[in-house]
Amino acid sequence: MNGPLIVQSDKTLLLEVDHEQADDCRRAIAPFAELERAPEHIHTYRVTPLGLWNARAAGHDAEQVVDALVQYSRYPVPHALLVDIADTMDRYGRLSLLKHPAHGLVLTTTDRPVLEEVLRSKRITPLVGARIDPDTVVVHPSERGQIKQALLKLGWPAEDLAGYVDGEAHPIELREEGWALRPYQKQAVENFWHGGSGVVVLPCGAGKTLVGAGSMAQAKSTTLILVTNTVSARQWKHELVKRTSLTEDEIGEYSGTKKEIRPVTIATYQVLTTRRKGVYPHLELFDSRDWGLILYDEVHLLPAPVFKFTADLQARRRLGLTATLVREDGRESDVFSLIGPKRFDAPWKEIEAQGYIAPADCVEVRVNLTDSERLAYATAETEEKYRFCATTATKRKVTEALVRRFAGQQILVIGQYIDQLDELGEHLDAPVIKGETSNAQREKLFDAFREGEINVLVVSKVANFSIDLPEATVAIQVSGTFGSRQEEAQRLGRVLRPKADGHQAHFYSVVARDTVDQDFAAHRQRFLAEQGYAYRIVDADEVLAEG
Amino acid sequence: MSTEEKPATAPRSLAEALRGRDDASLAALLRSRPDLVTPVPTDLTQLATRAGTRASVVRALERLDRFALQTAQALAVAADPATYEELLGLLAGDDGDPAVAAALPHALGTLREQALVWGGDDRLRLVRTARELLSPSPQHPSPTGLGPSVREATAGMSPGRIQEIVATAGLPSTHDSVSAVASLGALFTDRTRMAALLDQAPHESVEVLDRLVWGPPYGQVTADPAARLRWLLDRGLLLPTAPGTVVLPREVALHLRGGRAHRVPEPVPPPVEAATTHRPQVVDATAAGQAYAALTTVEDLLKDWDEGGPAVLRAGGLSVRDLKRTAVALDVPEPVAAFWVELAYAAGLLASDGEADERYAATPAYDEWRERPAAERWTRLATAWLAATRTSGLVGGRDAKDRPLSALGPGLDRSVAPEVRHRVLALLAGLSEGAAPVPGSVLARLRWERPLRGARGGVAGVAAGEGGRGPGGSPAERGPGAGHSPAAEGAGGSPAGGPAGDGDGDDLRSRLARWTLDEAEMLGITGRGALSAHGRALLGAPAPRRPEAEPEGPGDKLPVHHRPAPPPVPLSPAEQATAAAAAARLLAPLLPEPLDHVLLQADLTAVAPGPLQRPLADVLGVLADVESKGGATVYRFTPGSVRRALDAGRTAADLHAFLAAHSRTPVPQPLAYLIDDVARRHGHLRVGAASAYVRCDDDAVLGEILADKRAAGLGLRRLAPTVLAAQADPAGLLEGLRAMGFAPAAESAEGDVLITRADARRTPPRSAPEPVPDGPPVPDDTLLAAAVRAVRAGDLAATAPRRPTAGDRAGNDGLPRTGAAETLATLQAAVLTGEALWIGYVNAEGAASQRVIAPVRVEGGFVTAYDHTADGVRTYPLHRITGVAELADDEG
Repeated sequence: MNGPLIVQSDKTLLLEVDHEQADDCRRAIAPFAELERAPEHIHTYRVTPLGLWNARAAGHDAEQVVDALVQYSRYPVPHALLVDIADTMDRYGRLSLLKHPAHGLVLTTTDRPVLEEVLRSKRITPLVGARIDPDTVVVHPSERGQIKQALLKLGWPAEDLAGYVDGEAHPIELREEGWALRPYQKQAVENFWHGGSGVVVLPCGAGKTLVGAGSMAQAKSTTLILVTNTVSARQWKHELVKRTSLTEDEIGEYSGTKKEIRPVTIATYQVLTTRRKGVYPHLELFDSRDWGLILYDEVHLLPAPVFKFTADLQARRRLGLTATLVREDGRESDVFSLIGPKRFDAPWKEIEAQGYIAPADCVEVRVNLTDSERLAYATAETEEKYRFCATTATKRKVTEALVRRFAGQQILVIGQYIDQLDELGEHLDAPVIKGETSNAQREKLFDAFREGEINVLVVSKVANFSIDLPEATVAIQVSGTFGSRQEEAQRLGRVLRPKADGHQAHFYSVVARDTVDQDFAAHRQRFLAEQGYAYRIVDADEVLAEG
Repeated sequence: MSTEEKPATAPRSLAEALRGRDDASLAALLRSRPDLVTPVPTDLTQLATRAGTRASVVRALERLDRFALQTAQALAVAADPATYEELLGLLAGDDGDPAVAAALPHALGTLREQALVWGGDDRLRLVRTARELLSPSPQHPSPTGLGPSVREATAGMSPGRIQEIVATAGLPSTHDSVSAVASLGALFTDRTRMAALLDQAPHESVEVLDRLVWGPPYGQVTADPAARLRWLLDRGLLLPTAPGTVVLPREVALHLRGGRAHRVPEPVPPPVEAATTHRPQVVDATAAGQAYAALTTVEDLLKDWDEGGPAVLRAGGLSVRDLKRTAVALDVPEPVAAFWVELAYAAGLLASDGEADERYAATPAYDEWRERPAAERWTRLATAWLAATRTSGLVGGRDAKDRPLSALGPGLDRSVAPEVRHRVLALLAGLSEGAAPVPGSVLARLRWERPLRGARGGVAGVAAGEGGRGPGGSPAERGPGAGHSPAAEGAGGSPAGGPAGDGDGDDLRSRLARWTLDEAEMLGITGRGALSAHGRALLGAPAPRRPEAEPEGPGDKLPVHHRPAPPPVPLSPAEQATAAAAAARLLAPLLPEPLDHVLLQADLTAVAPGPLQRPLADVLGVLADVESKGGATVYRFTPGSVRRALDAGRTAADLHAFLAAHSRTPVPQPLAYLIDDVARRHGHLRVGAASAYVRCDDDAVLGEILADKRAAGLGLRRLAPTVLAAQADPAGLLEGLRAMGFAPAAESAEGDVLITRADARRTPPRSAPEPVPDGPPVPDDTLLAAAVRAVRAGDLAATAPRRPTAGDRAGNDGLPRTGAAETLATLQAAVLTGEALWIGYVNAEGAASQRVIAPVRVEGGFVTAYDHTADGVRTYPLHRITGVAELADDEG
């Protein structure tokens, strides 16, 4: 009775990380509990029905779950909670989706009343066809995703045993020359392949692209890769050519400018969701080849139409890659039911401890508005308030002081408002990358930054995702998209890539005191703190005094 | 079988049998049937008579366990009197049943003790009322499924027909019907001859018998029965009862059943089966954890109600909305919330405050309770629960009048609840340590113990004297008892006819038992379904009513009573206290030790990895918001919560010191920063109340005012160099300052100087008064005409020549005077004749007048009449009429 785990009545699990059994315990509960917060002393996991069903899908039974809880719990586990867990897990697998030799896809049950119950639901009725026998009903193959989603919402998740189509084979090998997949990357690939479909959660800079490449090498089939933007698409291509046996010619780019369809095709979300006269002309891409694997980069940004289409793609293997499953729109469960359950997850701090990502020093700098700014802020319209406080002149001074302090290191200044960035660029004498910057120009600037030709780069939120700036050691965030947590995670990711010279990474947020800016910052930083990145708060005066 | 007496001669009546019993045995009878003692009978004859009354017998039968009841049922279908062997034959069948043979003496002993059976083993007699209640009749089929005997069934049959049957059955004819029936009965009870007879039966006929054999024994036949039926009818194997109905005689059925009265005799109580067995340590720890959770839940509940609990409904109790709210606050389902609320109520920790606007609130006893050690707090709750007749499980249902039953409201008392709770827990105590029962088997066992709904909801204070107390093996030794079919037996088995048939008694008992299992788990008496050591100790002595229920656990060190303890709460207060103390001793070491530290984290949370010491928990509860509860508590610091702590009078330095002192880990920088940041702004704005202010651009003048002794009464305080706030009102302040020789000017809210002349006072808008005219308005013609008519009529009344009455009784005022009786008679006569009368009338103000009226109706002390004076129909109270006089005829 002195275990590392405390089971709370709200079904959160508190894990004391400094406890000697903490590692064993973490392994025992990881299959069914979601890591929710990982600050320095006590990690919080949450037991959800989804998590329990995922565990069932992965072959764990209720007994294992209960054993894990009872074995490591410091205090007796309430009986009701154990019963509830057993009951919840028991709901999984009463229904399953099978391939029927004559009827195609069918939904069968081992518990007839359950089938009766779900068939009575309005959500299910349009998705199913004829009843073959009392325990089996035909499902339209195109509704495989929809029905899974609907059944999940009804609380009777179906076990998908209908398997996957192999797709058109295409030889892909990893070329591990002078590098190798890291153990956790291998683990991620293995978990994904074993599970069939699902999501791999890895921090920025932990090499998600390589997990993607590893999975492709495992699948050895034609692959469709969906990414957020063109720059990111180029980087995927670059990385794939470098790390695998694929050649430039085998990889196509399907974007606003190019429409190539090759054995491996990289498409942007944007082009897929382009809508003309009420139709999505580019969704045909999904059917243009017999894809064996579909990769979703930054799956937390997956736009809604793609969701809909993914529901129709259930027969193909799907891999989602992301740094965080937090969706600001709260549609995490759709990611789970449509792409698949989370197959791999590692706390950032752990990967940092293994030396694969750089340790970071997170600092929030609080600046005071000047008296006249305060008055102007107080009288500003509500929707203008954030812009007003986020672009205060004092921030510029602090940013300049910080840039001076880290002179010689690679510094990114990240912001939301273009005029603020332009002004900063002017004062810092640094190039600005924003929405209107052409792709060619962007790549040129990125290269220059990479090579160390320029030390300071001012970027707008266009650079939030998937740009690879390996040598950035300092990020200064002057304004953000309100309280977006995943943006914060992405930005921190900019500096977390391991540094050649072992410099410590620095992540500064410049925040206006006593304004909504501070509230948003608190919201974003709570996420960082929960990922184990403790931040310090300093006053602008200190920075200015040092600078 | 101490109750058995062997008098020299066999008793001839129940009274005589009772007379032969010793004092202890009589005491046992009175203990098990307490209704016989109220009032105390004068002699044994009276006792016997009362023991034979229907109500008392029904009550006694309801308290029998299933086998004792089966024994009584068997006796009811046996000959009267019956021998022990006959009875055994009926219960065990021709083949015998060792279990029945073993259990029968005990069951019979119970029946004898309860004065339901009397007489020696050679002449067993069921008391007549019981026999009537239990023996089969078409109206009340017996649970045995047996029909009437041959003699009863042939009572109305013609002698010729009887002789025919006897002949067809292959028996010699006799002289009279009585001997014919007797020989037929002898044939049916003779196994060998009967078997021979049935061997000849056509296959289809045997099938018919098979259908009827286990009851119900009645069947329908047409006027012209089929051959297979005719074969049976001809031989008396089926006997007609009413036109179209036949019955299988009892003797035939018994033959076909192999002599058994019951399809399934249940001599052995169904064992309480263990579903799983946990390690005792796990059970105790889980129960202790739950016990601690129970304490925190009750505290949370009352803390939630600390500042004004929910209002008491007019009908009493808690509104559904308040219960919902409480359930949300406690984060439990509503029925569970109702349980906690009722528990706190039963333990005396909360009550209605009795104010005009009645609300629920914690009692002073709660504050006392809070100061006790955790284990004691728990026993207080647990003992209150054990003894409570209030049952929270009923909350949300409706009573007999379809009124909703609300938590804390009326109608929740069920007097059997404590007994059921004790019994259920005693059954759990009978399992091996750490074993959790199959709930169904507990319910089955309870049903066995009280097959006839055992307990009626409303019978207060009378609980069961347990039937069995004889020594016997444990269930394990006896092996699995005969299978049981409780539903069939229990439901059909209401041979007592249910004089007080509220119908849901049996149901209530099962529900109570289920609630008991759930509630015991929530309360931490059981853990993982198994009785914990402290739960066992809490039950104390009465747990092992039956030897097989004797606790084997080392936790139970209390004496075992073999006599039934006085129901319903089997422990005296002193024993109860001892048991509670024992439970507390066992529980105390298992409860988590309150901690004096928390872990602070950079995400602005604090985790208390266990319960906290009270002062620490209280301070932290103010300084941070609780985010998650359970074994540990997660607190989150927010600007709002820190501000709350500052408002509560803490300073930032205090808070830093507090966190540093109680955190095992260094205080994270963001948290320290948060506190300083909130503190920096806290109290930045100051708010106070002042009645008036003084302002002056010359702060020296204000200094002068403050220094003046005469200003002391004005309550002045300097807010800023040029502003003073005053507690005195503006007028007083002006006066005071003027008295001090200053020349102040008053200021309006806008800051303008007010002119000293006070504003004229105005009322809210009012309308002008209506003018009051000097005299009445000039009357119009209609009014005048009416007036004239009235005057004439009045005149008529005044001057109408009256018949002289006996003695002129008109008073000095000229009003007619007659006695009340005469007045009434005259008025009634006038109604009939339709003539007008002259009356004297005194109105409500006491003014007298004379009127001429034509009465229409006299009733209820009023006369309704056409009033010539007023020219309209009026109603006059009779008592205001001074007298009546008839008008002179000539005037009409």
